[in-house]
This record gives sequence, structure tokens and C-alpha cells, in this order.
Amino acid sequence: MKNLNRKLLIALCIFTGINSGINAQTKITIKGSDTCLPLVQKEAEKFMKSNKGQTITVIGGGSGVGIAALMDGTTDIAMSSRALKMDEKLKMQEAGKALKTAIIAYDALSVIINPANKVDNLTREQLDGIFTGKIKNWKEVGGEDMKIIVYSRETSSGTYEFFKEKVLMNKNYASDALMMPATGAIIQSISQTKGAVGYVGLAYVDASVKEIKVSFDKGKTFTPSSYENAKNKSYPIVRPLFLFYTNKAEAAAKPFIDYVLSAEGQKTVKDVGYIDVSK
Amino acid sequence: MKKLKYFLTSALIIVLIIPAIAQEETSDTTAATLSKIMSDLEILKRIKITGYFQAQFQYADSSGMNSFGGGSFPAFTDKRISLRRGRIKSTYTSNDALTNAVFQIDATERGIVVNDVRLKFTDPWIQWFSLQAGLQDRPFGFEVTYSSSMSETPERGRMSQIIFPNERDLGAELIIQGPKTGNWNWLKVEAGIFNGSGAPSATSSAAEFDKYKDFISRITASRTTINQKYKYSIGFSYYDGGYRTDNDTSFKSGTDASGIEGFIIDKTNLKNKKVNRNYAGADMQFTFESPAGITTLRAEYIQGRQPALSSTTAFATSAPVSNVYFRKFNGAYFYFIQNIASTPLQAVIKYDWYDPNTDAKGDELGKVLTGGKVYSATDVRYDTWGFGITWLWDSNLKFMAYYDFIKNETSANLSGYTKDLKDNLFTLRIQYKF
Repeated sequence: MKNLNRKLLIALCIFTGINSGINAQTKITIKGSDTCLPLVQKEAEKFMKSNKGQTITVIGGGSGVGIAALMDGTTDIAMSSRALKMDEKLKMQEAGKALKTAIIAYDALSVIINPANKVDNLTREQLDGIFTGKIKNWKEVGGEDMKIIVYSRETSSGTYEFFKEKVLMNKNYASDALMMPATGAIIQSISQTKGAVGYVGLAYVDASVKEIKVSFDKGKTFTPSSYENAKNKSYPIVRPLFLFYTNKAEAAAKPFIDYVLSAEGQKTVKDVGYIDVSK
Repeated sequence: MKKLKYFLTSALIIVLIIPAIAQEETSDTTAATLSKIMSDLEILKRIKITGYFQAQFQYADSSGMNSFGGGSFPAFTDKRISLRRGRIKSTYTSNDALTNAVFQIDATERGIVVNDVRLKFTDPWIQWFSLQAGLQDRPFGFEVTYSSSMSETPERGRMSQIIFPNERDLGAELIIQGPKTGNWNWLKVEAGIFNGSGAPSATSSAAEFDKYKDFISRITASRTTINQKYKYSIGFSYYDGGYRTDNDTSFKSGTDASGIEGFIIDKTNLKNKKVNRNYAGADMQFTFESPAGITTLRAEYIQGRQPALSSTTAFATSAPVSNVYFRKFNGAYFYFIQNIASTPLQAVIKYDWYDPNTDAKGDELGKVLTGGKVYSATDVRYDTWGFGITWLWDSNLKFMAYYDFIKNETSANLSGYTKDLKDNLFTLRIQYKF
């Protein structure tokens, strides 16, 4: 019996020893934008490989979800594909949280249609009309007689907010726009629907959909989205991707953010299909 | 050897298959349990319990002074520790978010008072129209409807506390506002019918005592610029109501034969008739961001005509048995709120005035007139400057230090008001919100 007790004691010591070892590790939770998700996941994997003992959990859900989690204290870092809204800044202030911001990459938003659609170019004004529901048929913008079906991200998405601000000049989406929970769902739906139109991050564009060239100078020049055009600023629908964190979480968050902004981290940005922040 | 083979095969079956069967059963049970937990969680998410407690230490300029900083001080007392508010609120929101019910109490050392018992229903078709009924905030002005837990100062201004004590009343209101994702969400119209007798308090049941109902309305517009750097809002409010008096006589401002200002008789057959109260107000807020931090400027002006008593300008909570005095009043407040860069500190400067009788000025107060009633201490105007600093510890906790410099109107003819009263107040408060 004495022997058994000794064994149990040793087992307990080993178990608690392992546990305290685990607890000594740094754990970071990153929550938010689905646009940032593939990039930050990749960055986290690489960071963890070269920094043993660091555990990073990356969860999507949308920019709004990440920012709300940062306010609640349920995440250390929020990923966002849009800047903070004034109401969110006021809530952060109310919670006594001083916010730090890092722009880790840029993302070009591509306007996509079904490959069977003959339309190649659209001006900002035409996009405004299409996505707000004023233009309902492709023949109104030089296409064939076919009903336009608008696909958008849902309201918690930063992409939804950014497109609304930048392209629709803060007007609301058409009431019959189909709100999709993820970018992949938009690609799939547009590839299967002839009259469909939507917007997705450049990194997601593939051969199953056709990209539209856009003009923000009333039709003088039409530019396709590409790494080069986003980098030289000739493509107009480009947004920064953010990581937000609070002063209190800075010690834990800073090494990872420094890694993302390093040459190695920025190479990953390019590899994943986003635009690096280096000049 | 055969025996060994048989033994090894049996062992393999036991080691591999039995746990697999057990795992499958466990997995089914886990899935069912998880599904039940998720379903229960969905139901629980509809119920929200929130609240806040405010405990404070106050140091008054003089013992037993009258105060609007959480009530007057008892005689011989110039320092006190009190529980200013102890709010517990439960909210149930339906699954489709189209109906909700709120119940809120205020539990302090002074007792337990019911603050809110209200329900709200939003139309399911276009979600523009909501009906809210029960004991609720009166939809008038900004300060009255702004939560005490959010307030940058310990108390609302003197005018708000006198005109709308306890902020709430029994009634029903229609709210018109576009859905959050719509183009018109920035505009809100509220209009309602209320008893007019206010909310219950530790000293008043606030039961209705007449057949007259009050109409209250408010329209607000609130926008944020596309770059999310500026937010602005404006609002206009209107109140049209009144209550029954149990006395025949009313007085209004005027002059006697020798030109002395004071109250003169207005009407003499008022018993069981309605005396009217009317207010109108405008408010604005402007918030912007700069390297110094987020700054908010806020202002509100209210004017109107108040039927009350000689001893108070507050509205009646029961039919008055003594003479009714009609006074034209006005008041305003201005806030400058500065969050100090990226620190958790917030500084505030507030100026407010309340003039309960705009016809009574300076030495006219207390001057005896023939055949009328003198302007008394009730008619004295007050100007208040407040300075405070708040440490926003986290989303739950905040500490506030605030000082009120209160300046009253003086009159050579009004005893006790020939000079400024010693009624400044220091408040040190801790608030926990959950």
C-alpha cells in the first residue's frame, strides 16, 4: 500500500509538473476577419515553428466579431479588414482600453461575375447602381438582357463595410442582395449563376469566375485588380488589413506582430496572395 | 503456439474493436448532449442580466446643505458615504429580436424601487415601427434618457432632476426608426402618451391622480462621417401636458400698482381643472478624434412653462391643494469631455444653469408687492461649473472624482440669498458595471 501511495505521489508530481510547464507557455488568441484568416493562420504556423512554446489560436467570424471580442477581453488580438468605427472607438474608450493598430497587409477587392457574362468593364457609378439595386439588368451596363443577381458578404464582415464605404459611398446594399457567410460561398454561387455579381478579395479569385475591370474616373481608365496594380495604386479598391490589440496585451502580442511585419512575414503575405506593406 | 495465436487474436479484438464500439456509442451520446447544451444555450442567450453599483464619498461645503448631488445632506452632516445607485436589470429578447421585456430595480440603503417594467414590440414586416409600453424613460431630451452608468458626471443637471425626477413615467410610445442595416437608421422619431405623474420613488408611489395625459415627443438624427472620425447628432423634444389642481387660485408673474415685480393672481376658479405644462428643447452632440484623444462636446437647452407650488418648481405627484404658481423657466448644460490620448483617463468640464423663473431677476427676488406673492428662494437661478476626472479601469470598473462649484443668484431683498450659499460639493465615486 505504501508503495502504491508513493507511485501515486510520483504520478501526481509528474502530472502537475507537465501542467505547470504547459502553463508557462505563451498562448495568444486571434479572432476576427475571415479575409485575414488564411494569412494570419499561415503566419501563426510559421511563427510557432520558429518560436517553441508559443501557442497561437486563430479563429474567424468577421471583423465585427473580432473587435467585439477584443472589447469583451475574449481575444488578445482582433483581425479586421476595416478600420474601427467611431462607435467602437467610443466603446473601447468606455472600457478604458487604449488600442494599438498594426497594418499587416493590403487587399485588393475584385468585382467578379459569371464567366458567361460578356460585360468586361464597370465604372464606380455603375457598380453603385448595381449593388444598391438601381440597375437591375445587365443590358443597362452594356450586357445582355439578363437580371442582375447581387451577392454580398453579411453585415458583420469588414469586406461588406469597406465595399459599402468605398464603392457605394455609404449607401445601403439592395434589399434583395444575397448575403453570404463566407467568400468561398460567393465564388461558388457566382460560378453557378449566369447573372450574378459580387466582390471578393484578390487572393480568392480563380478560373471559375470572371473579374471585371473597374474605373473610378468616370470611365477614362479601366483597371483590373492585380498585385502590381494594387501596389502602384492604379487599382482603386484596395484596403488595409489590420491587427488590433490593447496596451495590456502588448507584451504577448508584439513578438507575433513584429514577425508578421518582418521580411519573412511579408514574404508570406505575398505568397498567400495579399499585398505586402513594404514600399 | 495455437493457444498463443488464439490469445493474441482475442487480445487484438479486445484492444481495437471494443474501444471502437465504445467510442462510437460515446460519440453519439456526446453529439446528443452537445446538441441539448447548444439548444439550452440559445434559450439562455435570450435572457440578459446586467446592472451597476455606485458607491460614493461626498464632502459638502456646509453641514445640512441642500444638494442635487444625490440628495440634500442631513442636518449636522457634511460628509457621507452612500450607495447612490444599485441597479439590476433583466432583459428577455425573443429569438427573432422583435419583442423584448425589461425589468429593472434600484436597490440601495434607502430601499428598493422599481425603475423599469416595460415591453417592446417591433413590427415583423418592415421593422420600422415599435411600440413600447410600461414604466420607462420619458422620450424628452438627451440627459434624461442617457444612462447614469455611462454618464461622465455623477448626476444629471439641476434642471433635469427638477423637471423630470427619476427620469421615468408610465405610458406607451411609438418609436419609428429604420432597421440597423437600412439607409434611414440615423433618424429616430418617438411619440408617446404618459400619465405625467412620474416614476415611483422612495417617497412617492407615482400613481395617476387625474384623467389628463401628457404627450411627449422627440426626433433625433445621428450620423458618423465615412472616415469614422466625426460623429454628430441633434435632437428636438416637445412636451405638452398638465394635471388637475385641487385649489381654485393660480398666480403668474406680474407687477403691482407701484410697478414691483412678483406673483399676481392669474385665475380663481381652477379647482378640478387642468393646469398646463409645456416644454421644448434642443440638444446636440459632436464627437471627434485627434492625437489628443476622443473629444465630445454636448449641449442641451430647454425652456417652458411650469405649473408648480410656491415652495418648489418640480411638477406635482398629487393634485395640489395649495395655490398653483405658473413660471416660465429655462436652462441648459454644456459638456466638454476629453479622453486623454491613449490613457484610460477621461476629463470633463460641465457648465449648467437652471432659471426656474425667467421673470424674476436679482433684487426683485424677495421684494414685497401689494396684493400679490413675493418671488422666493424657489425662484432663484443657479449656475453650476463642474470639473471631474474619471479613471476607466476596464469595461466593469471606473473611479470618478468630481467637484461642483455652485453659484446662486443673489438679492438684497431675499433673506438667506444676499450672498452665494456655501453649497459646493466634492464627490468620489466607484462604479462597477456588469
